[in-house]
Amino acid sequence: MQNGIIPAFELSVVSRHITYRKWRTFLSVGAVALAVAISIVFISIQNGFSDFLFDIVFRFLPHITVSPLEGENYIHLYRGIIDTAWMLPGVVGVSPSLAATATLAYKDQSDNVAMIGIDPAEADKISEISKNMLQGDIGSVLGGRRIVMGQALAKKLKVKMGDTVQARFPDAVPVNLVVSGTFSFGYKPVDESVTYVSLKTARDFLNEGDVVTSIDIKLKDPFQAQAAAEQLRSYGYNAKDWQQLYPDIVRTLAFERTQNAITMLLLMIIATFGIASIMNMLVQEKTREIGMLMAMGATPANIRRLFLLESGVLGLMGAIAGCALGLVVSLQLRGVQIQSGMGETMNLPIAINPLDFVVFTIIAVLLSIVAGYYPARKASRLDPVVAMRG
Amino acid sequence: MSDDIIVLKDLSKIYGNGVQVRALDGINLNIETGEFVAIVGPSGSGKSTLLNMIGLLDTPSSGQIFLKGIDVSRASAGERAHLRNRELGFVFQYHHLIPEFSALENVMMPMLIAGKEKAEAQETARELLVSVGLEERLSNKPNQLSGGQNQRVAVARALANGPSIVIGDELTGNLDTKSSDLIYNLLRELNRKINQTFILVTHDMTLAEKTDRILRIVDGKLVCELRRKGDLFIASEACELGEDGGKIKRS
Repeated sequence: MQNGIIPAFELSVVSRHITYRKWRTFLSVGAVALAVAISIVFISIQNGFSDFLFDIVFRFLPHITVSPLEGENYIHLYRGIIDTAWMLPGVVGVSPSLAATATLAYKDQSDNVAMIGIDPAEADKISEISKNMLQGDIGSVLGGRRIVMGQALAKKLKVKMGDTVQARFPDAVPVNLVVSGTFSFGYKPVDESVTYVSLKTARDFLNEGDVVTSIDIKLKDPFQAQAAAEQLRSYGYNAKDWQQLYPDIVRTLAFERTQNAITMLLLMIIATFGIASIMNMLVQEKTREIGMLMAMGATPANIRRLFLLESGVLGLMGAIAGCALGLVVSLQLRGVQIQSGMGETMNLPIAINPLDFVVFTIIAVLLSIVAGYYPARKASRLDPVVAMRG
Repeated sequence: MSDDIIVLKDLSKIYGNGVQVRALDGINLNIETGEFVAIVGPSGSGKSTLLNMIGLLDTPSSGQIFLKGIDVSRASAGERAHLRNRELGFVFQYHHLIPEFSALENVMMPMLIAGKEKAEAQETARELLVSVGLEERLSNKPNQLSGGQNQRVAVARALANGPSIVIGDELTGNLDTKSSDLIYNLLRELNRKINQTFILVTHDMTLAEKTDRILRIVDGKLVCELRRKGDLFIASEACELGEDGGKIKRS
């Protein structure tokens, strides 16, 4: 008759080994704890980075973009595409836009920018422009010759609200535009080079008729984009989903994930070897004791279970310590400012997911049990007479 | 019904694959319940091998071992472990106590292996340690006890599951005369009180002549057997006692 799931005999020996041999316990637990803590920090940074990139994709960028067909500069019959797009399941916004390159000049300042003609209400559904407005509002572009620009660009051109800038470009019709709003997406390349005007202003500037250069579509579920784009392509439109539009993001995430998975696996393997070697030493050290336990009636299964249990408990202790350490370090890293390549600073993106703690604990315990398997097997196969001789 | 607790039939043990060493050679032996037996013989004669066979710590190359009438010579490692736990108690020259555990916990160990409740094991262990005179030392670890005290803990541990046979291998070999006498008296008292069977391997003829039956082994063969009758020992017909039996009073 056994008491509970873990027999009292094995439990009493294991608990005593762990509490009595403190230094050995510290080393085993420390090895696992470090591996788990580093893995937790890695995965939290990776989650944060993924969230950061997905946030850009899902909140500020279109999920599907319909572009002109090959060999054409514009989409002429775009209203039909808009109607078709609205019929797709889960569509929350369809925004036609006409993009042009323009040189904006104010007094002796000038800069080349992307001047995008939009329908403000629809464009806002795609890129949440109004949420990022610092001055004025995006709807103001409908009030004639108006322009809304990034705060960083306004600083570069030294313009304020109400100032008039001139937009010009070879083959374009120069036009004077009043600054009616500024925004900041917190992403310097956008804030320094993107401006919004009305569709009409953009057409006048380009001297074009009722055309657009793209139709941006936003879906309720970004992961439906591939199917929706496929459907649009089946109608003969040049539609691309976000994974095709921003392959670098997808590639970067896949690369990051693989790199981190390999690093974490290697860390865990190193920790596993640590436990394996410590357990092996324990078996060597305890050979006489094992022999006596066998003489007292411990079966090979008892002995095997004893060492596997000890490995598992050390792994669990290490995992718990590692989770705590990983959590503390991840929380500390949240406040760390990093310099991006574009010269802007941002908080290191950290996303702590409780499920990761559970997963790493399970992995650590399982690997520790695997690490204890060989020493446990070796111990269980000892001949009691030989073992007692030492 | 026979009163034999152990019966060995033509028991042999051969070690080695290339060069073979015959450690036991056709041993035939019956030991009755409640006997107090000493096995003597020169070093390397096979007495410890014989003890390991009786204690189910080792398996024979040929022949049979009957424990309480059941042939256990081909039992699996697990079955032998269960039998050792329930039917046999061991005391060795070196006490082999687990250093991390107190005297009480060491004595509890065979009972925990048997799956007894912790509280029950604790109570029995305490009673056993009291009976070996260590009531003041229950929570002491082996390194806090003398050699004799450790050996008494080992005796208490051997008795934990109420075994049918207690086996001692040079159990007083590391002790001074006083401690050695104390251990012997303890075992003898148990033997008389509860008719427990004791089989001791010893070099110490003083201890051997206190037992009821002396078996002498030379080169793996049982060469001599002496049985107590009062203060004297009666030798079997083919008895060649050798030097180490010189002081024994025999008829």
